[in-house]
Amino acid sequence: MPGREAPVNRVVPTLAVTALVTWLWLPLGSIAPNRIVPGDAYLLAQAVGWSLAMVSCLPLLGLLAVAWRPTRSGYRVALALTLLLLAALPFWLALMAQQHLDPELPQARVGIGAAWWLMLFWLSLLLIELRTRLALAGWRLALSLVPVLAGWWLAGKGLESLALRQELAGREEAFGEALVQHLLLVGGAVGMSLLLGAAIALAMRQSPRVERLGFALLNFLQTIPSLALFGLLLAPLAWLSARFDWLSALGVSGIGWAPAFLALLGYSLLPMVRNTFVALSGVEPGVLEAARGMGMSRGQVFRQVRLPLALPVVLEGVRITTVQAIGLTAVAALIGAGGLGTFIFQGLGQAAMDLVLLGALPILAMALAVDALLGALTRRLDHRAGQTTGTIE
Amino acid sequence: MIELKSVTKRFGSETAVDAISLTVNRGELCALVGTSGCGKSTTLRMINRLIEHDGGEIHIDGRPIREFDGRVLRRRIGYAIQSTGLFPHWSVARNIGLVPRLLKWPAARVTERVEELMALLGLPVEQFADKYPAQLSGGQAQRVGVARALAADPDILLMDEPFGALDPITREGLQVELRDLQARLQKTIVFVTHDMDEALALADRLVVMKAGRIVQQGRPLELLRAPADAFVASLLGGDDRGLKEAAITPVVERMRPLSPRLLPQARIAREATLHQALAMMFRERVERLAVVDDEDMPVGEISLRGIVGAGLSEGRDR
Repeated sequence: MPGREAPVNRVVPTLAVTALVTWLWLPLGSIAPNRIVPGDAYLLAQAVGWSLAMVSCLPLLGLLAVAWRPTRSGYRVALALTLLLLAALPFWLALMAQQHLDPELPQARVGIGAAWWLMLFWLSLLLIELRTRLALAGWRLALSLVPVLAGWWLAGKGLESLALRQELAGREEAFGEALVQHLLLVGGAVGMSLLLGAAIALAMRQSPRVERLGFALLNFLQTIPSLALFGLLLAPLAWLSARFDWLSALGVSGIGWAPAFLALLGYSLLPMVRNTFVALSGVEPGVLEAARGMGMSRGQVFRQVRLPLALPVVLEGVRITTVQAIGLTAVAALIGAGGLGTFIFQGLGQAAMDLVLLGALPILAMALAVDALLGALTRRLDHRAGQTTGTIE
Repeated sequence: MIELKSVTKRFGSETAVDAISLTVNRGELCALVGTSGCGKSTTLRMINRLIEHDGGEIHIDGRPIREFDGRVLRRRIGYAIQSTGLFPHWSVARNIGLVPRLLKWPAARVTERVEELMALLGLPVEQFADKYPAQLSGGQAQRVGVARALAADPDILLMDEPFGALDPITREGLQVELRDLQARLQKTIVFVTHDMDEALALADRLVVMKAGRIVQQGRPLELLRAPADAFVASLLGGDDRGLKEAAITPVVERMRPLSPRLLPQARIAREATLHQALAMMFRERVERLAVVDDEDMPVGEISLRGIVGAGLSEGRDR
């Protein structure tokens, strides 16, 4: 298109070249005969042969070509190439396992290498860049990821030897329990802190003295390191459960879920109360004055005006709290509260990094998913409130 | 009819409104003017009991407002404010229908009323009904604010600097619309403003306040010609008072029948103000103008002498 050529895109080629370099010159993975012995690292070319390695680079070169003359259809091609690269990622590991794994050794395993993780990272950045360029709606991006996930599921069948899977094997039940326990702790603490936080925020709005006192207390609570808080709760909870039978019958004791739950609740309260309080106080005074001037009752003003206008900011608080709680719950494994943190600390103790990953990856995925979902919900509500003028057509 | 009888409001030790008495007759537009903090907004908000008065009595149609439940009273009184106070999470139509819904009108009647009001205020239904306030221009938002205030067809309308945040051109346009609307609807309106031209152009009764007291009240012309003290005089424009008077006096008042002399070339509409006639003379370098009707037919003439001198003492006697 002469005359109106778009300027050369610099982000896509930078990412593509970087990806090419790390993909070829960092280890794709490693192969170890068992859990204890450190594995041998394989570069891509060693793992799958030079010819296939060259083939794997073709889409990256395609990205370079597209970036040279960026048009809308060019970006669509780039998106397709990126999705193709993403979908193919696990197949390279499967290929490596097939060619180099000794079938005589049932304990032998494939570890994921730096090249693979970095490729995942670069491709994610590429997706973000292309999404912005194409102004893709969130759901369309999610839809385009479906074939990628299908590819991963397919490749997963040939990857029983993946170290992560080996660690999971025999721990399926424990993993399920830990996952449920993790979700229960997070859900319980966030749900409870939402109820309690809303009540505290409402009380704070009634009196400035309660407000000062409340924020001082919650700020103080936030400054205690999480491990210290678990320790501090140990003695009083042990004493309480010894004194009251019904508490110990509930499973409350110095260690376990009870102190973890209380500590999570304590940490969750500050962001929850702060956001709820700011949200409720931040509604434009002119709107409230008009609402009252039109003859709405106090209850109507609160339910129909103040609360809906505050909701996006309250949800923002839920998002921050939930992401924070997902991470904190991992630490709670140290005091026997269960959850995915169990695998992290077990793995650290046994110097088995793949076991650590087994705990850490789902935590990461959970945090990202919650962040994305609640973020999208908040934007939707904000959108309805008309505060983001630009995006409404 | 709204009557305030020695109404007082104190905030702590400070007296915001000090024993003011004021009667606003049915169908009258009463403008409260004064410097910031003179108590004009407080006075307005005491009428719909957003602020309770401490002393004296406020009557609406002969009944003290304390007899009413505050919410019931406010639903009966239209209320429009400077920031519009439109609910950002509600569409235009839903905003306008607020008070009728509070009054539990049937849904069909609310819809009908909302469409009627949108037409009245020049907001095409299909274009604006589903928009959100953030998508409106300042002038459009203010129209929606006025439509919402008028929704339940209240007899009384309270307006607190409703056009204060708008640019001069939009503001003047809405002032003209409000005057036309008022000519048709004959509401009893209390209007707070700090824009003196706006007050002079709209008000039937002008009330000047200072430090919580009423300094002077009366028809705009009365105040312009005989300000009670230096404060009122300076508030009304100081040396510019004469021109402000010209700006609210229509040409017809000083028009003379066509003389046998040659008809002047420059012409001015019958509805124009003396201010506009003066401006025309200045621009055209003439001392006489022909006054024409809607069909551009001469109906009389007006001279510089007629505008500035001869009519004045006569005008005072009237």
